[in-house]
Amino acid sequence: MSLLKTSLHQIHVDLKAKMAPFAGFDMPLQYSSVKEESKAVRSNVGVFDVSHMGEFFVTGPDAIKFVDYLITNDFAGAELQKAVYSPLCREDGTTIDDLIAYKLETERVLICVNASNIVKDWNWISSKTKGFNIELTNESSNYSLLAVQGPKVEEIFKAIELINDEDGLVYYSAKELTKMGEKVILARTGYTGEDGFEVFCSHEMAKTLWSKLLEKGAVPCGLAARDVLRLEVCYPLYGHELNDTLTPLDAALKWTVKTQKDNFIGKEALTGLTSSKRLVKLSLDKGIPREGYNILNMQDEVIGVVTSGTMSVETGKGIALGLVDRNKFPENKLFKINIRKNNIEANYHTKAFITGGHK
Amino acid sequence: MSQNIPQELRYTKDHEWAILEGDVVSIGITDFAQSALGDIVFVELPEVDTELSPEDSFGVVESIKSVSDLYSPIAGTVVEVNSDLEGTPEACNETPYGSWMIKLKVASTDEFNALMSPEAYKELCDNQ
Repeated sequence: MSLLKTSLHQIHVDLKAKMAPFAGFDMPLQYSSVKEESKAVRSNVGVFDVSHMGEFFVTGPDAIKFVDYLITNDFAGAELQKAVYSPLCREDGTTIDDLIAYKLETERVLICVNASNIVKDWNWISSKTKGFNIELTNESSNYSLLAVQGPKVEEIFKAIELINDEDGLVYYSAKELTKMGEKVILARTGYTGEDGFEVFCSHEMAKTLWSKLLEKGAVPCGLAARDVLRLEVCYPLYGHELNDTLTPLDAALKWTVKTQKDNFIGKEALTGLTSSKRLVKLSLDKGIPREGYNILNMQDEVIGVVTSGTMSVETGKGIALGLVDRNKFPENKLFKINIRKNNIEANYHTKAFITGGHK
Repeated sequence: MSQNIPQELRYTKDHEWAILEGDVVSIGITDFAQSALGDIVFVELPEVDTELSPEDSFGVVESIKSVSDLYSPIAGTVVEVNSDLEGTPEACNETPYGSWMIKLKVASTDEFNALMSPEAYKELCDNQ
């Protein structure tokens, strides 16, 4: 099967990006260098083409009620024009995907899902609509999505007149507004820990925005930098910290499971459940932990596995998220990571490796 | 893709370069390799005195997102490693042909002489 292309594909190729298949799309991994791109997001602004992600719309009188039933986090209680991050679970509590639901209007919700899970999510969500007065549509191919992230994003967005103070787009809010003569959904969300926006727009507008942003100094960033950035702030990634066999509790996402909610899929299974695993944050002074490397205790017994690992651009250290068996979690909180022939002592972190500057 | 292929060196299909001085062969990674890898952030090299056979892995080079094994193209004994690279792995990006990784003492120069010429290596790169 040939790879799908986003509306900006030719622009990436012209910029000589390293392209690679991701979730069925030919996507830019990096343009200049992962280091430079990561630094741009932490200190300036980076722009990512994430048009491969999925967009579902739920409309109708029961839209909010339906989404609240689908996801584990509290959506009904969220204010209008707010975004809510949540796992999407099965009845048994295992995780189908994690997503952001945007409460655009009282009868209109946008759900943004991982590209690799679009078909799975669609099949699941569309099988659960019975009894709800809603309409569900998959608009994934109609929307381009740009993530524009970094401390100078507000300045640049104002300069290109994409936002103004009256729009009131505070952190984690989302609105459909008319900009540059067309409707666009602007959300102050992202996956980097920095202040930023995700812009859901037409394919044509994405091209215009891309060039306007680059003119103002935004740095094109690829999926490799995106992964480093999210890992530095310890955001989970589906397929790594979450998958079809893990519950949100395994990925330390208890804060997104609101068991006091009226009713939602997975409520029974997740209520009172204690995860058999613990998500740990580890760093190394020397060496780089990678997905699949074993985590050991000081007696060199394997007690878990690295689920995501990389070199952190910001700290210059190898960093990892990993899942450790809860009943083997060492009281002394001392860990090692096996890298090839060596078991290397790791630093245990209670907080994310870095604190992003998001507002 | 980068096409800096010095005439005075020999090459391998694994994108390493080699040069013979007396009975010692110095080995590093090519410009093509460093460009494909991106930012190199970690280099792991063997101990001195390690005996290597052709195709043995003698270390790894890691970019932010990838791990690549380094393979010895020839048999020999490691007589020196460039441990400076452990502190400055970015040198592999900046000066790939100045950043030798190991020096191998070889019993015979036959294996070295059988390595790829610059012309043959250029053709390999052009086809990737």
